[in-house]
Amino acid sequence: MTAAESKRLWALDDALPLLHVSVALSAGSASDPPGREGASRLLLRMMRRTAGGRSAQAADELLDGLGSSLSGEVGRGVAALHGTVIRRNVPQFLAFLADALARPAFGKDELDRLRAEAVADLDELLDDDAALVRRAFERRFYQGHLGGRPTTGTRASLAAIGPEDLETHHERLVRQGSLVFAFAGSGERDLLDGFARGLDGALAPKGSLSPKPKLEEPSAPAGRVLHFVDKPERTQTQILMGCLGAHPRDEDHAALHVAHTIFGGTFGARLSQEVRAKRGWSYGAYSALAVESFRQPMTLWTFPKAEDAAPCVVLVLGLLEKLIERGVSKRELALAKKYLKNSHVFSIDTPAKRASLALDAELLGLPHNHHEEFLERALSVDKAAVDAAIQRRLSADRLLITVVGTHREIGSELQRAIPNLTACEVVPFDQDV
Amino acid sequence: MTPERLAGLSDPAAPFGELEFVESIPFGPKLELSRYRLKNGLSILLLVDRSAPVVAYHTWFRVGSRHEKPGKTGLAHLLEHLMFVEFEGLPAGAFDAKMEELGADNNASTWLDFTQYQEAFPKAHLPVVVELEATRMSKLVLEHELVESEKEVVKNERRYRVDDDVEGRLEELLWAQAFEHHTYHHPTIGWMPDIQGFTAADCATFYRTYYAPNNASLVIVGDLDPAKVLRLLSRAYGHIPPAELPLEDVQPEPTQLAPRRSEIELPTATEKLALAYKGPALGDLDHVAASVLTEILAGSRSSRLFRKLIAEGGMSAEVRAAVGPHRDPSLIEIFVSMRQAKRAEEALALVESEIERMKREPVLRSEIERAVSKSELGLLGSLETADGKASTIGFYECLSGQPADAFARLSAMRRVEPSDVLRVARRYLRPEASTLILARPTPVSPSVEAAS
Repeated sequence: MTAAESKRLWALDDALPLLHVSVALSAGSASDPPGREGASRLLLRMMRRTAGGRSAQAADELLDGLGSSLSGEVGRGVAALHGTVIRRNVPQFLAFLADALARPAFGKDELDRLRAEAVADLDELLDDDAALVRRAFERRFYQGHLGGRPTTGTRASLAAIGPEDLETHHERLVRQGSLVFAFAGSGERDLLDGFARGLDGALAPKGSLSPKPKLEEPSAPAGRVLHFVDKPERTQTQILMGCLGAHPRDEDHAALHVAHTIFGGTFGARLSQEVRAKRGWSYGAYSALAVESFRQPMTLWTFPKAEDAAPCVVLVLGLLEKLIERGVSKRELALAKKYLKNSHVFSIDTPAKRASLALDAELLGLPHNHHEEFLERALSVDKAAVDAAIQRRLSADRLLITVVGTHREIGSELQRAIPNLTACEVVPFDQDV
Repeated sequence: MTPERLAGLSDPAAPFGELEFVESIPFGPKLELSRYRLKNGLSILLLVDRSAPVVAYHTWFRVGSRHEKPGKTGLAHLLEHLMFVEFEGLPAGAFDAKMEELGADNNASTWLDFTQYQEAFPKAHLPVVVELEATRMSKLVLEHELVESEKEVVKNERRYRVDDDVEGRLEELLWAQAFEHHTYHHPTIGWMPDIQGFTAADCATFYRTYYAPNNASLVIVGDLDPAKVLRLLSRAYGHIPPAELPLEDVQPEPTQLAPRRSEIELPTATEKLALAYKGPALGDLDHVAASVLTEILAGSRSSRLFRKLIAEGGMSAEVRAAVGPHRDPSLIEIFVSMRQAKRAEEALALVESEIERMKREPVLRSEIERAVSKSELGLLGSLETADGKASTIGFYECLSGQPADAFARLSAMRRVEPSDVLRVARRYLRPEASTLILARPTPVSPSVEAAS
């Protein structure tokens, strides 16, 4: 019987003697078992450090000796191992990767060591205000939705994960035909094909693979909510605001992407010009429209000094309201299109980037030429389409405003300054980490 | 390119437009760099790389925070910010707007020894970028209000990178204590009161003094036609006169004769330690062996300190080590972040024990081989884009005058013997030449007030 074959994506190019390999699983934090948040991340790290029953030290020494790197990345809907290796060592690297995927070990001692490292990572997170605001925002924005599960887990969920959980998770996720391979850079296609085929052959058939959890679309915040993450001794605030955005499957996603480019996608965009260039209030002010397997928020990020936090939030809110009310100008639209058209080459100028785009499209269930089509759609939108997308998708009233700062110094002023707040919540910075 | 052909590319109307071919330099096994020079001293490095239809255009000035005076720290960095704002013929914001229109990915950085400006863009836009960059080199406008606004941006950058950042604070303190005379003492971003005190006149003086063609190298990499590029450069930069560069007035750091140690409280959950030894300059023959040493010590998960402190010891969250890549003798730095309730002294004892071992026993050849492989991977990774190639070239051009030094260093690394690592360990890892900062968590009691 022929083994079911996993999907393979290719961007081979011999310009540099370097091969990139990604192997994606249909698992992300949304697939973590309830109460076991962080399981997918632990699984990938465990696979890397126990490949083929090796010790973690042996695995690390082998990978370094080959001139290679291998690390795990966990999103909400997908997870992947990403590796890079100097071309002359490709066969040995592939053998290791096959061991990691098909023959990991789940010993308790190694898991305990890994768990302790993962908990220490959470402590490190507490020192990083930019990461802290992002995590707090996502937890609050997706409250009650699978998207709110932290990929890193929490102290409590990490403590609950046992070797058997990871073994079951591995059995469920790493199945014949269920992976997606992406190969980029310098490598022999036959060799890589053989590796993928051999690996599929070594895995259990899909069989009774349990279905991926269905990801409902998240809801927008119920009102204009201030979510204050209280951290002592902050001279500066980290501010992340967001309302529900759009998904690539939405017809107006490209139009909203153009709107985001105009509003905060570049240095010359409205946010950066008003917050940084005109007022000097922050080193940066940008918007983002992320893509995941379900609808993501459009976020606005800036980090003014504590005394400027209130006027800065009010300014950004005003800019957002103006965008929603009046839309974009034809001049802005023309400039944004030139920027998107001309800068597109930098999303495809290396084999690794081309493979990454193809992998994203595959994992999100989008057409293989999604990124080219997306650009074409973005370049063809007119002002009416952009304004309509803004009107339909963005809201300054159903908006989450997460702020990391010292509450006793600026909390009351901030709360008073923000008009039409429907709720204000204050949480300690180390809560739920 | 023949002298006759080159002469045909020089702009006769430009007083400094005469082009001179200087040398060809192999850049790795497949590529070749060409160096030219304009009569005003501007060095031009061209690398044809047709792997993507883009061009990376970098301008490296041989000026950094090392050239600043007490009371004026952070001036090189503030000027870097202002170099995006306003120019003769380009009102405030127009430079960036034009770059964005071209789809250019542009940025800049300032460090101890250099300041560099970079952009990558689709190849068809090269003529526009040449004009913009030549304007930037000679026609900066410094208005009081714009300088004041940009000072606020820089102060916010400082809060972000240093004042509210635990590692940023530690790093700043470490260098300030390790260097007492050399200008490496002060941070590139500058002390806050100095940033506050700058005037437009300060910036103008610094610009006129250091932003001259004879103090810069252009590094242009990508899908380009060298003859066309040279013709454009001669016309655009050939009108900029050279400057009389001031004599560099940097004090060498005296030999450190006693260890320096201090403790601070920071708003962090865990203890940290930053330990530094006086190390070699980038151009010193010892620098390569010192790089191998820091890789073996704490460069990766297979390194000695990772095993001792994290994998086996279970006491630390992070450990890393590096030797500074600077023009003058720098620091060999070791940073450790502890886990909850673990004391930094526990890690320090193990770090010092491993250092003593490195001075006592030769490292294994397998350890050197891993360090070399990892460096090779890093180098190849940095060469994937035109921008990455230009950065690699510009960095070594600015620091050592050898733009392909990245490859020379890798070759030198392959020749490192255990005895070399032993020698540099004994030469540099001396307790009396060390500086140690221990960071303790400030007692934390966030008072979360009742929410409405």
